This record gives sequence, structure tokens and C-alpha cells, in this order.
Amino acid sequence: MELFLHYLTMPYLLHGIVFSIEVTALGLAGGLILGLVLASMQLSKFGPLAAIARAYTIIFRGTPLILQLVFAYDALPHLGLKLSAIAAAGLALAANEAPFIAEILRAGVLGVERGQLLAGQALGMTPTVLLCRVIAPQAIRTMVPALGNEAVSALKNSSLASVIAVDELTLRSTQLASSTFDFFSIFFASGLMYLVLTAAIAIIQLIAEAALDLDRKFSERFAALLPWCAKRDAEGEAAAPTSTPASTASLASREAASEAASSAVERSNAGRASRQQDLAKQSASVTVTGLVKRYGKQTVLDGFDLTIREGEVVALLGPSGSGKSTLLRCINHLEGWDKGEVRVGGRRLGVRVDGRPMTQGDIANERASVGVGMVFQHFNLFSHLTACENIAGPLRWVHGVPAAEAERRARELLERVGLAHRADALPRHLSGGQQQRVAIARAIAPNPRVLLLDEPTSALDPELVGEVLEVIRRLAIEERLTMIISTHQLRFADQVADRVVFMSGGVVVEDGPAHDVLTHPSHPLTARFLNVMGADSRFEMAT
Amino acid sequence: MQTNFVVSSGGSPRDGLLRHSREFIVGAACVVALFMTGHAQAATTAAPAECKALQTKYPQFKGKTLVNAINPHTPGYEALDPNDPSKYVGFDIDLGESIADCLGFTMTYKSVTFPALLTTLQSGQADIVISDIYATEERAKAADFITYSKVFDGVLVAKGNPKKITGINPSLCDATAAENTGYVEVPLIQNLAAACQSAKKPVAQIQLYDNNANAIQAILAGRADTYINDVNTVDAAVKAYPDKLDKASAVTLPYSVGIAVPKQKHDLRDAVMAALGAIQKAGIQQNLLKKWSLPAENLESPKLIVSN
Repeated sequence: MELFLHYLTMPYLLHGIVFSIEVTALGLAGGLILGLVLASMQLSKFGPLAAIARAYTIIFRGTPLILQLVFAYDALPHLGLKLSAIAAAGLALAANEAPFIAEILRAGVLGVERGQLLAGQALGMTPTVLLCRVIAPQAIRTMVPALGNEAVSALKNSSLASVIAVDELTLRSTQLASSTFDFFSIFFASGLMYLVLTAAIAIIQLIAEAALDLDRKFSERFAALLPWCAKRDAEGEAAAPTSTPASTASLASREAASEAASSAVERSNAGRASRQQDLAKQSASVTVTGLVKRYGKQTVLDGFDLTIREGEVVALLGPSGSGKSTLLRCINHLEGWDKGEVRVGGRRLGVRVDGRPMTQGDIANERASVGVGMVFQHFNLFSHLTACENIAGPLRWVHGVPAAEAERRARELLERVGLAHRADALPRHLSGGQQQRVAIARAIAPNPRVLLLDEPTSALDPELVGEVLEVIRRLAIEERLTMIISTHQLRFADQVADRVVFMSGGVVVEDGPAHDVLTHPSHPLTARFLNVMGADSRFEMAT
Repeated sequence: MQTNFVVSSGGSPRDGLLRHSREFIVGAACVVALFMTGHAQAATTAAPAECKALQTKYPQFKGKTLVNAINPHTPGYEALDPNDPSKYVGFDIDLGESIADCLGFTMTYKSVTFPALLTTLQSGQADIVISDIYATEERAKAADFITYSKVFDGVLVAKGNPKKITGINPSLCDATAAENTGYVEVPLIQNLAAACQSAKKPVAQIQLYDNNANAIQAILAGRADTYINDVNTVDAAVKAYPDKLDKASAVTLPYSVGIAVPKQKHDLRDAVMAALGAIQKAGIQQNLLKKWSLPAENLESPKLIVSN
């Protein structure tokens, strides 16, 4: 025991820790940089880059670190690169860590929901903004435990640097054991030193995890690590549910009120006629001409034509696979197309002034400037941002709105969709209906020329459909927003849409005033579809 | 010891530790001298007169810092100083410092595994190897050797020599020997296979480790029956574990211990050889053998072992 303590406090061994940490730090920092490069090569759309990265990964993940160390130390000098022992060890460790870190990074990036990326694109984010604001914050959070693991393993691996004369803890321990014969006391002492170092990494990891935990308020995240604060935190959680019923109640009453109002804003027959006349005078907002879109051999849109006027609300109906979603995604240029053209506000999409094809960045900027908002079936809110930030963030990042102004606008919109009281909630703490209302607020925040809604209520529980439809109804009737809605809600289409477009097989089968098409379909396909969907009690009520 | 050489050579101040030591020594030379008295240092401090001529003949080494690759796991030859682990001590270390002193350069050390000694030299990560390495024809393909000592091996066994091992001979059949990777004893033991088979005995097994301490631990843990290595290493092990280990016998191997230098550096080879000759002539090597309690008959006049 006395010998153990003697070696535990021996400056010679303690100083060896400094070299161990140096090699580890070099290895981790280099591995992170190289790993970032490897991960982006593997994620890139350019095949040869991905192949090179893959080959590197196979070689450096598949050979022992000790060989790589000896190579960096003894072979590189023959190639004219003579590194110091520590640099060679750092290089070998970095080269070895890189493929592991690259895989962690890749998993983190791929782990971000694809829907959120689509939503980001639809909001006009360039790839860089998307990476910095949507992908990175979420990926980093999921990567912390794996990176902590990697740091511990790098520290332990640094002991292998002893084979290339790095004067680190393990080399010092073995030499000392040889000269003193106090084999076990020395190795127990150095073992404990490694344990203290790895424990320190574990603590850093815990702090990082707590700091990045979205469910805690930022000020509480560090405090929560301290036991006396954690206790108070738990008490707070227990008390929290009591406030929920109150807010639910207020929401319920608000919804009841809006339900009553909705009957007042429904379109009457007389109103419909005059509105049709008004719309006919408006200029075209969206024009789709001869649009052809194929996925491989399958033709999804087959020479599709459609014109939508300013302020018009069009319901796209049609069986699954009829091309509704694809059409909407083409209008927002989330998809390219094979033939035909799409014009929004008179501007032809996808073509630069100089006629050259657009880059992803060009397309993003085009989306932002043309003004096409999109609401998705699965909401696709950015899950790391509060309701308010989901709206304010894109305003700042894409449209350069000052922070205070963006927040004011976000809160105003949340108020309009009846969610002012949930402004600071994370998406995962909102119901589906609430999430979709936030998503609608986010889509209309930049005042788009046209709003596309892709089956906005299909993913909702039946009791939540009403609140979302109500919000859309208000946009249509009170704000006269141009909208294209793909939906299966026939009653809703009747109430809100000026026109119904029935699609099948990638072409327009029937197109006419909403009430006429829904009540007196002229095409047999439309009639059959309405018949099947008519089993839906909502439409029964409408007719 | 190292500090003494610095004083007498007035060497390069590059090494912070040595420089610090020198400042200390300038102020407290008497105290240090007291510490040194037990170590017969007097002879090494006075460089032979021939050395001045050698420094004139080989000015390219004067004031330089050379890296000596060592496998410091052999107490008595090269190991950490247990009282001050920032220093290496032993016969080889002192001999190397004497040569450095004679030619006017400073020696720094790089600790590597035994099999990495010559690869480290070849890759240019070290300039010289003085680490109790036997100069065999095989190794001479990797580096040029200047010999300085004869080889006497001892047979380290568990207390009482339960397997009755008497050397590298058929008494080893049926036994397990611990050895260091790259040691010359390894092929010698492997070559016993034929003799063991004709005697209808199992072939001797070899466990390979990467330093003395591990090989000694293998015997202590009952994993191996013997460890055959330099006799003084064996003696040191027996001294450290008198209740558990024994020396069975001495074996004479047909090798010499040599200083390795890179093959293409003939000027260094010639300078080291000349310096070693001067050191032996001045009786310094004899004093060092005495200082480290090594037998005087170990001494061997320098000869070259090279391979083309």
C-alpha cells in the first residue's frame, strides 16, 4: 500500500499523464477534422468521393492501431516525413479515430428526420443554413454519448504510443517496473491514473448531455447536475401537470367559439357565384403547363396542366398515387421534373437568367423569393426548436428579419392559430393538431404568394382534425390566401375550396367549381371516388 | 552520471533538464561529488587525451545532440534510476556517455521495445543504439555493429529449479521458456526441436514478451519455467525475488554485445570505434564494469560486425 501511494504520487508518472493527454487530444482533434471530411465525402452525391472515403475507412478501421503507429513512426521517415514521436502518435491515432468518428457523424446526420430537411428546403433554406440550423444542432445532441465513448477509447489507445517511444504513462510505468521490480504497485497506480482520466471524460460527457438537454431550461441544465438542485427540479416536475388542465380548458373553449364562427364564414351558394366572378378577373398565380414527372419507368405526372388564380383555393382530390403530392412538390421545386414548366407569379421555376441549371442554393433562394409556403402531412416541425423558434428562426435565417421583429411576428401568428400559450413548448410536447397549426403558422410567416398543403390532416387523430381545418378555413376565407390543398376531407373541400381538381393517373380528370364537382361529378372516375369517400360521415353531413 | 558529463563536455544546452542540472551543479559541486563517490566516476570525467584529437578529426559530431535508442528494461545496463526516474542509468548508459563525452556530443534517449531498436535506427528516429544488443550476422544486415563486450547468459528458473533445466540443451524440452521478442536466444531454443524430437520429448515452448519485467513475471506467475538472458539480468532478478527465483547455470553464447550505428554513416561508425578504443585504453570501461558489478572478463576490444 505504501509503495502504491509512493508511485501514485510520483511526479515522474504524473508527468507521463501530460503526454498521454497530449497524444489523446491530438488524436481526437485530428480524428474529428478528418472524420468530418470523411463523413461529408461519404454523404456527398459525387460517387468517387464516397468510394475514396469508403476505402480509407476499410483500411484504417480494419488494421490494428499498433501497426499504424509503427508505420507513422518508422515508415514515414523513409518517405521523407520525419515526425516527432508525439506527432507521429497523434497522426496515427487521428487516422485511426477518423473512420469511427466519421461513422458517428454520419449516423448523427442521417438520424435527423428527413421530413425536417424537406421542411427546411421548402422554407427556402440553402444547404448551408439547413446544415447549421437544422441538422447540426440535432445531430450533435445525439452524437455526444458516442463521442464520449470514442474519447475514452482514444485515451486508452494512447497507451499504445509507448511502442513508438512516446514517453507517456504506460511507457513510464513499464520502464519503472523493469528498473524497480515493483511490478504490481506501479501498474495499480497507473491503472488508477487512467481511471481518473476516463472518469473525467465521463463527467465532461454528462455535462455536455445535460447542457444540450432541450427539456431543461438552459439555466437549469448545469444546475441539475448538482444533487441539491436536482431534487428541487424533480419537485417542480411533479407540480407541473396541475397547470395543464387549465390551459386545455382555455383551448377547448376557444375551439368551441371558433366552431361556432365557422358556420358563419362558410360559403353560401349566392356567395359562391359572386366569388367565382371575382376570381375570374384575377391574374394567374400558379401555372403548370405540360408537366411530366417520372420516377424511373413510372410516370407520375403525364402532361399535367393547371392554372390557379390569385386568391383561389383549389382542392386536389384523387386516389392515392394519383400524383397529388408530386404535383405540390414540383410547384415548390422540391422535385425536379422531366418536361413542361411551372410558373409562380409569372416567374418560370428552375431556370436561371443565363439559362444554366440551378444549384441547390439557387433553388433555395428561388423558393424564398417566389413565395411558396408548404404544409406537410407529418408537420415536419424542427424538433429541437420551440414553437415560436420554428416560426421565427426561418424568418431570420432565410429572410434576414431582425430577431425582435421575427419573434413578434411568430407570437402574433401563434396567437392567430390559437397557440400563444404554447409558444415556448417543444414540438414533442404538442399534440398533432397543435403541431400542424404551428407548421401552418411557420409556412405563412414570410407572407407567401401561395400556400401548398399536402394532406394536412391525414396524420391526425380524428378528434384533432377540426382544429387544423378551422385554421385553414380562416386563411382561405378571411385572408384570401391562394391555396392548393390535397385532401381527402370532402366536406372541408366543399366548405373551403373554390374549385376541385380531381386527378387520376397523373392527369386532370375533372376540374370545376367545388360544390358542383362534389355534388354532381361528370366523370365516372370522380363519381366512383366520391362514392367511396362518401362513406365518410363528414361529407354525408355536407350533402 | 549524466550530470557529470555535462560539466566536463560543456555540451549543448538544448536539453532543459540537463541545463537545469548544470546550474544546480555549478552551485553545489561538492555536494554532488559526495553523492558520486560510491560510483567510481573519477575516471570517466577525465576524457582521454586521444579524445581531443578525435574531436578534431570528426568535428561534425562536436556540439551535436545524438539520439540513443534503448530498451530500458535491463537493470545494470539500461533502466530508469529508481531514485530519480527522470534519468536512465546503467553500464551501457555510462559507456555511451563516455563516448559522447569523448567525441563532444550530447546524448539523449529514446525508449523503444527491443525488436524496435534497429527499426528506429533505420528510420532515422535514432542515431545510435547502445542497449545490450548482441551483434549477430542477422542483425548486421540492419545496422553496423562495433562490439564492446562478451556475452554470458544465465538461466533464470523458479526456486529449486523444479524442471532441472541446465541451459539451452535438451533439458529444455518439455519446458516453457519466456523470452523477449527479437532476442537471439529465441532461435537457439527453437533449434532444439530436432534434438527434442529424436529424444522423443515434446518440443520446448516459447512465450514472447516485450521486456524483462514481463518475462520475469511469467516465471513468478508459473506460466513459464525459465528465462534465459544476460547473466547479470538474471542475477538482478534473483536478487529482487530471492525466495522465488534461482539462477540455474551460465551459458556462453558465441556473440558479442555491440553498438549499432546506421549502415550508411561510416564517419559515425569510425568515430565511435576510435572513441571506444580510447576509452578502453584509458581503463574507463574497466572502471564502469566495476561500478556496475559486472565481471571484468566481459570486456572485449572493439571489432566491426558488418554485412554487405
